[in-house]
Amino acid sequence: MTQILLYTDTISEGYVILITGLLIVFGALVTLAVFFNYGLPWMLYVYKIITKGKDKKISEIKVKGDSGFTGEISAVIGASVHMYLSEQHDIESGILTIKQVKKAYSPWSSKIYGIQNRLKS
Amino acid sequence: MKKLIIIFSALALLVFIRPVLGLGQNINAATNSSVATTQVDDVEEDNIVNKAVDGIKSFYSYTGFANSTSGNVIMIFIGIVFIYLGIKYNYEPLLLIPIGAGVILGNIPFVAGNQTGIYETGSVLNYLYFGVVKGIYPPLIFLGIGAMTDFSSLIANPKLMLLGGAAQIGVFATFLGALYLGFALPEAGAIGIIGGADGPTAIFLSSKLANGVNILADGTTVKNLIGPIAIAAYSYMALVPVIQPPLMRLLISKKDRKIKMKPPRAVTQKEKMIFPVVAMILTLFISPSALPLLGMLFFGNLLKESGRTERLADTARTKLIDIVTILLGVTVGASTQADIFITKDSMLIFGLGAISFVIATMGGLLFAKFMNLFLKGDNKINPLIGAAGVSAVPDSARVVHHEGLKSDPTNYLLMHAMAPNVSGVIGSAIAAGIILSFLA
Repeated sequence: MTQILLYTDTISEGYVILITGLLIVFGALVTLAVFFNYGLPWMLYVYKIITKGKDKKISEIKVKGDSGFTGEISAVIGASVHMYLSEQHDIESGILTIKQVKKAYSPWSSKIYGIQNRLKS
Repeated sequence: MKKLIIIFSALALLVFIRPVLGLGQNINAATNSSVATTQVDDVEEDNIVNKAVDGIKSFYSYTGFANSTSGNVIMIFIGIVFIYLGIKYNYEPLLLIPIGAGVILGNIPFVAGNQTGIYETGSVLNYLYFGVVKGIYPPLIFLGIGAMTDFSSLIANPKLMLLGGAAQIGVFATFLGALYLGFALPEAGAIGIIGGADGPTAIFLSSKLANGVNILADGTTVKNLIGPIAIAAYSYMALVPVIQPPLMRLLISKKDRKIKMKPPRAVTQKEKMIFPVVAMILTLFISPSALPLLGMLFFGNLLKESGRTERLADTARTKLIDIVTILLGVTVGASTQADIFITKDSMLIFGLGAISFVIATMGGLLFAKFMNLFLKGDNKINPLIGAAGVSAVPDSARVVHHEGLKSDPTNYLLMHAMAPNVSGVIGSAIAAGIILSFLA
């Protein structure tokens, strides 16, 4: 990307970048925050209208889910499920002996038949 | 057993008897034909001993003992310290141990020209380092982070997103500081991002701006600062538990530290699914240069939240990120080869990095206090969580949590601190994108 420098002095260009950069970062995050504060409930409301066709005011749409069900409760449930699934140790036997595998005799795998039965030319 | 010993001793006897009988003479004569003509008169045994000594000497000249410099020794010591810190104090061991091992690897002294070192084209380490130089690893790490991160605390309380922005003051302040210290603009931009406290972002930006390849406006080549910047970013990330608590105690009063925030509301799955898509579009429209980082971050999060791609999300947040972390850690560590790493610039970068961490933390804390002026009653936030605005996921959130517990053992701040923490990741990636679009 070619860029024409407006300022020959690097320090003053630094200040320009500092100010614009900070403004843009804040701007981006503020946009996100505003969207998720106001835009998302509205979108969910529209979605509900499309799918169910019920006429409701924006204020009637609950984004809150269950107000009694706080993040702390879900954290406790999540922690307990995690503990149950991955923190439990099962005891294994420490014996690592190779077991002898015994095969039942089968004429199908017997070598002797392969040797005796030759094709007759 | 007896048989084995007999065979070995017979073999040993054969090997040692050969030179004594003069059987080895043919080989020596063939290899050193020019030398042999002058040394015909020498006593045979003396000749063999001399050659053996010469061989040992030339072998010695290839060993690390002969080639080591004080810089190598210092860097190897630093590598050992990294490993020690990782094991003993548990400071980000997943990063410090690969980096420490890499530092030792990169500073083993060697004779140049055998494709050993990380900066020699064709060496294995050089190929692995390619992912750092071209900025391939950071987006992959971000994919994994996205698949790990739960944005619900952020969705529940969007205003906390501003704290992540406030901590980016550190990035831009350091950028300015680096300019005053005489770094060129792109170099200063890459150094500034250390204040974002985000290793992958720092590597990504320095690989684009301060890679030793780009040519500046005045015709000089930019310096290669990837190694020092990455090491500074990662080591300060590991030192978050040391740097942040004193600043918190300094800036936040005892009363403020005890503020209890109301628990975040439960967030519906639909919101969680919409978040990555919308945030991806919005942030990338604002800062398109951050596409590799933010795109992968939100893509990973979408994999996690969509509920249909659990397999992909699982791979991204476990196997994939592990593999990339191993490669990244080792190669970044190895890039600190002493003759390239120990310079005045590196020391300056380390100094600036520390300052930028301090400024970023202070920015977050003070902005949280500032926000509290406008918030009333139940909605007041605990200013401590501002410190989590520097990304360093999830360490800074954990530090905030511990500090909160120290002043009030029933105040659990972890969930609240995660919100500014993840928004700090988004914020620093946006900041990287802006710096990139200004300076690349």
